[in-house]
Order: sequence, then structure tokens, then C-alpha cells
Amino acid sequence: MIANKRLPPPEKAAITLGFMRLTDSAPLIIAKEHGHFARYGLDVTLVREVSWANLRDKLVVGDLDAAHLLSPLPMMASLGAGGVRASLLTGLSLSLNGNALALAGTLWRQLGLADGGYPDALAAARALKRYLGREPGRLVTLATVHAFSTHSVQLRMWLRAAGIDPDRDVRIIVLPPEQMCDSLAQGIIDGFCVGEPWSSLAVRQGIGVVVASGYDIWNNAPEKVLGVTEAWHHRHPATHLRLRLALMAACRELADPGLEAARILSAPAYLDLPVKVLLPSLTGEFTCASGQPPVALADFQVFHRYQAGFPWRSHARRLLAEGCAMLGKVLPEDLAAALVQRCYRPELYREAAGHLGIPCPGCDVKEDNRHDRPWLLEPGIELGADRILGERAD
Amino acid sequence: MPPVGAGLAAEAGTALRVMLVDDSPERAVMVEECLWAAGFEVVLVIPSAAGLLFQIEKSRPDVVLMELESPDRDVLESLAIVNHHNPTPVLMFTQEGDPDYIRQAVSAGISTYLMGGINPAQVRPVIDVAIAQFRVFQALRDELHSTRVQLEERKLIEQAKGLLMAHKNIGEDEAHRLLTKLAMDANQRLPVVAKTVLATLSHQGKRKD
Repeated sequence: MIANKRLPPPEKAAITLGFMRLTDSAPLIIAKEHGHFARYGLDVTLVREVSWANLRDKLVVGDLDAAHLLSPLPMMASLGAGGVRASLLTGLSLSLNGNALALAGTLWRQLGLADGGYPDALAAARALKRYLGREPGRLVTLATVHAFSTHSVQLRMWLRAAGIDPDRDVRIIVLPPEQMCDSLAQGIIDGFCVGEPWSSLAVRQGIGVVVASGYDIWNNAPEKVLGVTEAWHHRHPATHLRLRLALMAACRELADPGLEAARILSAPAYLDLPVKVLLPSLTGEFTCASGQPPVALADFQVFHRYQAGFPWRSHARRLLAEGCAMLGKVLPEDLAAALVQRCYRPELYREAAGHLGIPCPGCDVKEDNRHDRPWLLEPGIELGADRILGERAD
Repeated sequence: MPPVGAGLAAEAGTALRVMLVDDSPERAVMVEECLWAAGFEVVLVIPSAAGLLFQIEKSRPDVVLMELESPDRDVLESLAIVNHHNPTPVLMFTQEGDPDYIRQAVSAGISTYLMGGINPAQVRPVIDVAIAQFRVFQALRDELHSTRVQLEERKLIEQAKGLLMAHKNIGEDEAHRLLTKLAMDANQRLPVVAKTVLATLSHQGKRKD
């Protein structure tokens, strides 16, 4: 397939991409292993990083050309919240969903939730609310992997759905994903909201019970994006376009991922974890509690369908608002709009979609919390359900 | 030569309290010596561990120094973000890091310190940069906070004016004058008076129903 003859030549062909040790780095790894980057004339080196802070800093400095980033990070880095201030942007979302909220087995038993069957996210949050009322002296500590992550956003949504104040009634801390299971087992934390495979690992070890998937809390939330600096994008528009096209091809291949993708991801240079731990989130055959049969969650993690690659500005606005709420702040409306305009670039997605001849949304924003099931935005453009737990439906 | 750590610490009249996070005990000893020599007080040295956050809350350091390639970096950054923690500046160091990267990182405003040939004289400027950068961020937070307060106050005033207009059947300008007069008479700020007006008038409104 030499469809790329019409494409402008890349300004830079040898590039370095950073990723974190999570199953949703799959588009980068598959694009490399299955030759999608090469087909677009790019010679890509993948580098595994140990922290989002490092990933962001190396991107800012230019050690990395592009990176697998948490969806709120382009806005929060542009604000300079927590670390270096740098203008980051995305023209391609890499995945939707993929997180799970697990509670320690000990806490779960005290909540008196029904055993067996798929968990009811709202019932679990309400049970926690009652428990906090019964045990006023008990400080419940919950962990996420980064302050400005969908994990934090979903955890806070889940708590608020039951009237729990995420800033006052519980304590939310940040821990590296690798430390989650250990901290849960030691009783340092009472639960966590994290990307896969870490919840599956807690379930396999019998120390945690999944009470909600990220999807249950916010249907089809934007999870990771392809992040670059604004300056890099201006210097390398053609390389950036090729990068998006190669990753879109990988995401299409990941429409229905299975054993083969898990085998590739499990390699020592990538996730370095057993295939059986990686499979649940890829296939959606997810086990919520030790000893229970897996349930089929078709949309547990989405790489391709529902226009998963489209960077919705309405998503960016919500992520920004939640990030500012964590800082205890409200951004003036005009500032928030301008920031989102710079950081989330749907026109870059449309440029790539145009080259591939595939349909994509003509609008930059959509209203969430309107649809219980997949729906047609326009003929040929199917979007996923978009419910948000505990948020009033208009 | 006076102890270099006296720079920023001189403001408070005491040495800056540093917490060191390092999973290599040999390196930690070296770095700790260097910090003492530079005039800093090293309050705690711990390996990266899950109990890190709790240790920070307990010993309340002025600055945390940690290895660049530690997965705990995100944890430490969250300290500067999340409300209920005590905001603490964090500084990274590296032993094997690529010198070019470090140079670029420093010029991009990322506080990093190359701990190759240990020289206490180099420690202070880097810690000063980290603290200055941290203060800039804190200032941004305060700025955002005051914006929010202003917005809330403006909303209160608008609501009070609206109620006055409806109750007294007067125009917006007159409602504004009335509110200003009330504030001057009571020697209170406009938003405070607006709040009182809102409480009083909406209470009256309920009684009428």
C-alpha cells in the first residue's frame, strides 16, 4: 500500500516515542511491530518511561518527539500545573475507557455488597457513603496514578455520585501503578482507580474486588492521547500527519484485539507481563472478583470504534474543569475555551481522516450524558454511549 | 565561605530542610553528605516506597530531592497539586543521566541536577531554581483563586441588585446606588452587603407566599 505517495515528505523520519507500561500503549507498540510506522516512512524507536512526569519533561525538552499521554495532560501542562509549563497538543486520541476501580477485599466485605454478578457502581458508592457515616473516625484512602488523569476524574465522579466529597470525606493520593497491588495488600490504601492490567492483577491475587469499570462511571471517556509540543508540531507537520495515520491504522487493527496483541505487548521491552494478565482488558473478558467467572464487557477498552481517535473539545473542557476542581480553582470561561482550542485539535484528526477517506465528525463538541447506547451522529458516524454516573440527565 | 544553603534559608533564619528519596543506599550517603556540606538540613533519607507520602506529611520538608528515573516522581508532583497535601517543591537529581538532556531540561525550566562530580556549590542554585519555580506555580494558584472569588462576588452583587429591583420596583442603576449606599452606611464591602440583602429579601419573599 503506497497510498502515502500523495503525502508530503516527513521533515524528520527517525523519531522517538515514549509510552508507559499500560495496555493502552497498544497502538504505539502494534504500529511498530506490524510495520505501520514503516509503511508511512517513519523509523520509530519506542521508549518505555517510568513516570508521566518524565514522559512530559522529555517531550518538552525534545528527547521524545511524541508520547502516549493522559488525556487531561495537554491542558494541565499548558497551565503549568504541578510541573513545567509547556504548550502540548493532541490531534489524535489513542483510546477510550480501560480503567477499573477496585476496593480492598476487607473494605468490600464491610460494605456488605452483593456477592456475585456484575457490580453495580452506584450501589457500591452509596454503600461506601453509608460506611463513612457509620465510621466517622475512619479515613478511607484511595489511590490513582496521577492527579490529572481520567482515573482521578472517574474516581471523583464515582464518589460524588453518592454524595461523597472527594476532597473532604476521603483521601485521594497518587501512587505509581506498580505499587498499587502491594499497597492494597499492605492496607496502606483502601482502593484504587487505575488502568489495566493492575486491577486484574489485584483480582488475580485475591486482594481486591472491582466495583466499577471506568466505562460504568463515564461511558467512552477519552483515556490516552498522542501528545506533542506545539513547537514540534509546527516544525514537523508532515511527520506528525504520518504518525497519526500510522497510529490510526494500528487502532483499526485493534478494533477487536485478542491473543496476538497480548503476546506482542507482553514482551520484556514493552509491558513485560504475562499474556493472561494482559488479555482481560484487551478482550473485555473481565473478572471482577477472585473465583468469579469473567463477564463480557465489549467496550471495556476501545481503540477504534465510536470515532475513538477523534479529539473532542467537549471532552477537553470537561477534563480541564475537573483538573481545575482538583486544584480548587475555576478558570474564567474565555481562558478555558482558548486553552482547549489550542490543546485539542480536531482539525488535525480530520486532515488524517481525509487522507484515509474515512468519515469523521464535522463538529468539535458533543453533549455528553445523552445516550444509553451507540447512536448515529451522522450517517456512517457511530458514536458510543455517553452516560456519566450520578450526573443528572437533562 | 559561608554555607551556601544559607541563600533562601536566610529569609527564615534557619537552614532549609531537605528530604532525600533514593533507593540506592550508597548514593544516598554521598548525596546526603553533599547536602549537609552545602548548608542544608537533611531531615529524612528514605528509599522509594509506598509509605512515601506519609513520611512527607510527618517530616514536612521544605524541599524533596529525588532520583530522576524514579516512578515516584508522579507521587511527588501530586504534592504540589492536590489540595489537602502541604505543597512541597520537588527537585530531581540523576547520576547516569545524559548531560545534554539535563542541560536542556534545566534551560526549559525543569529542575534537575546532575549529581556526577559532587560539588556542594552547585547544589544551592539548583535548589533555589526549584523553589522559585514552585513559587511561580503557587502564585498561579492564588491568581486563579482570586479570580474565582471575584466572580462569585460579582454574582452575589448581581443577584442582590435583581432582588432589589423586583422588590422596590426600581431600575438597575438605582438598585446599584441603593446597594452602594447600604454598604457605605454599614461600612461594609459591597459583596457582604449584597449577601445580607439576599438573605433578608429572599426570607421576606418566602413569608409572603
